[in-house]
Amino acid sequence: MIDDATAIYIVENRKCFEDLKQVASQLAGLLVLSASGSKEAVPDHPMLHAAGELFQEAVDAMRSARPTERARPHHEHLRRASTMIGGALKQASVGLNTCLDLDRVLIPLRAGYSELERAADELPGFEKVSYERACCGGRAQ
Amino acid sequence: MTPAYSLWVMEYAAVPNYPQSGLIYGMHNQGTRKLPYCYVVIKGQGQLAMVDVGYNHKAHGEVLANTYGVRGWHPPHEVLGEIGIKPEDVSTIFITHCHFDHMGNIEDFPKATFYLQERELSKWVWSMSLHRRFRWLMLGIDPADIMRAVDLARQGRLVAVDGDRENVLPGVDLHAAFDTHTWGSMYVTVRNDLATNSQSSWVFCGDLAYGYENLRGHDPNDPEYIPIGLATGSQFNVIMTADEMVKSVGGDVHRVIPPHEERLKDLYPSRITKAGLRITELALADGEKSQVR
Repeated sequence: MIDDATAIYIVENRKCFEDLKQVASQLAGLLVLSASGSKEAVPDHPMLHAAGELFQEAVDAMRSARPTERARPHHEHLRRASTMIGGALKQASVGLNTCLDLDRVLIPLRAGYSELERAADELPGFEKVSYERACCGGRAQ
Repeated sequence: MTPAYSLWVMEYAAVPNYPQSGLIYGMHNQGTRKLPYCYVVIKGQGQLAMVDVGYNHKAHGEVLANTYGVRGWHPPHEVLGEIGIKPEDVSTIFITHCHFDHMGNIEDFPKATFYLQERELSKWVWSMSLHRRFRWLMLGIDPADIMRAVDLARQGRLVAVDGDRENVLPGVDLHAAFDTHTWGSMYVTVRNDLATNSQSSWVFCGDLAYGYENLRGHDPNDPEYIPIGLATGSQFNVIMTADEMVKSVGGDVHRVIPPHEERLKDLYPSRITKAGLRITELALADGEKSQVR
């Protein structure tokens, strides 16, 4: 059972969660392009800049969050996720040219995404994947 | 001629009551049908390959079961074990597209090389750079799958294909279907007589068709192509691809295999396992024993 204050927390923090997930996806996307030798993998990919801006929005939103007792574990996972994803973002800005570069980004990125997954498990309303409108995850009757 | 490959469609989970409108364009308010989740096994010529790998139950199972009615998920070692195959024996996997229920379980196949379209990757990545209001374009994508794909690429087990490619395995071709169900969907053709102008082709179409209505319409006497319920690209491209697929099997729509089509059981021999999952046998190579009789 979710109390009113926690319900408000959920609504207010959904975007922050989604933004961090998006940043993680963007970084993972850059890594996979780089690791697979895609022709789209270019240094200073514009997405890195987009990821940086979105990350800052998420951090700002998180700072103003008011977690209830029930929402505290969720918020803690979110906080840890932002620290790790922020670290990954910083490393990605340095460069993605070698295996070592990839590791420097991938390791904190994975850890950060795991924290997001844990956050999603703590409270309803935070989805790891957008099933709702996905073709095969559409709501059955 | 004896088929070059044995071909099985392996159910690994299902939604018992899925709205028809999600599958066949325009079938609003016309009830539900069973939607099996399946992958395909291709065995022969010294090769063991698959088309798609299903989803990661650890990550998605509970939500899909509780909220979306997905039932009966079983891991690849159990599903494939029914036909005497281990996931670690699979050497080649063709990913038709990057939705979580098609590429989500790559970590269960530790020795396989994965083929997918380069465009599928690069356009997903591009869509991630768009504003949040475009998030519909990313539906069905699990960021964790993208991270797992990074590892595949570093291990040299990810082949990003640019367009069509013939004879990836003997008699097995990949066909790009850009801007259809997804940005870089592809379908897999098995020329089961290994001939260039095959008289025994099969098409494994991923989600380019969910059911036979997509390929022949509602009236068998007056066939037509009807788009699928969901296309990130254009429905025009979806139906033109349907035509291409049907032509490539000489007009026999039943040789185009939609993995979500429950009625495969009415066309080909099959059996239900103890776990309640169906195995459908499309072809048997020389010396291979039936897994459904």
